[in-house]
Amino acid sequence: MTELSPVELILAIVSVAISTLVTRAGLLVFGERLTLSHRVDTALRFAPACALTALIVPEVLYPAGVLELSMANPRLPATIIAAIFLLWRQSIIGAIVIGMIVYGLIRFAL
Amino acid sequence: MSSPWKDPAWRAEFRRGFLDMMPAFPGILAWGLVTGVAMVKSGMPVPYALLMTALAYAGSAQLASLPLIAAAAPVGVIGLTALVTNLRFVIYAAAIRTWLWTYSARRRALIGYLTGDFSFVLFMARIGREGAFPHRDAWLLGTTVANWVAWQGSSVLGIVAAAFIPTEWGLQFAGTLALVALVVPLCRQRAGAAGALAAGVVAMIGHAWPFKSGLLAGVVVGIVVATFVDETTTTPVAEPGA
Repeated sequence: MTELSPVELILAIVSVAISTLVTRAGLLVFGERLTLSHRVDTALRFAPACALTALIVPEVLYPAGVLELSMANPRLPATIIAAIFLLWRQSIIGAIVIGMIVYGLIRFAL
Repeated sequence: MSSPWKDPAWRAEFRRGFLDMMPAFPGILAWGLVTGVAMVKSGMPVPYALLMTALAYAGSAQLASLPLIAAAAPVGVIGLTALVTNLRFVIYAAAIRTWLWTYSARRRALIGYLTGDFSFVLFMARIGREGAFPHRDAWLLGTTVANWVAWQGSSVLGIVAAAFIPTEWGLQFAGTLALVALVVPLCRQRAGAAGALAAGVVAMIGHAWPFKSGLLAGVVVGIVVATFVDETTTTPVAEPGA
């Protein structure tokens, strides 16, 4: 059991919710007067590639909070094989199926 | 939301957005399930886990806050960690905002609250292909509602069935693979690949930084590197809104 009191727990949950609302909707609702330079606006095109990679890398290389760079870390070969598949065919479901099969097989074998 | 719904073209775009999100469903469902299980297994009572799912609606921030909640960290630290984990959404909002000014503030607020990683990436890809396509609010909302339904449904299932779902299954990796599927095509251009590489390296270096700040640092450095590579490898062309 958590040691936070019910009130503290509700406050913690509400603070997470407020951070979601403010970060996602804040600029969309109140940012009309914010004008970014053309250069910054262009730079934001690269946000998807960078954000996704920054989300993926710790998940793959630090499965338990510790760097696992060897091929014995099943997530690494599974991600590489899924990425190679994606270069050949652009299918999200295909990548998930192939990646999970490789991941499962290596975990089973080890 | 009642008036645009009467427009068949608006409804058609909404439906299209919903369907365009479906390929990501296995990843979203697995991730939502795992987040639901993780909340309960961290010691959070079921009603609070349901409340967090319903309100917070941000998997990475929820997962980041769980160990802090379990350790009874100060509420301010929990809120700050969630805020920093979510700061990439400010960059997303900055990127999509110019395409949404024509819509009411209320609709922009709803779109903003619901737009997570998947919807953002799909929206930027379609804008990149088609520019300011008509009823883009409907399409974007369609993708977000699909994401919301899949996420909330699987999270609630994970919370309720937590006792029967072992965390050793490694299901959350399916969510990671869905993100990989979105990022690989973005790395076909040199600038995108360079930005992703830089973001990945910084995310590695900063994986244990306080308040999950390595994630935001990775995004910012990645964008700067991608822009630098883009500007040095391509001749600047005027592209109004394209």
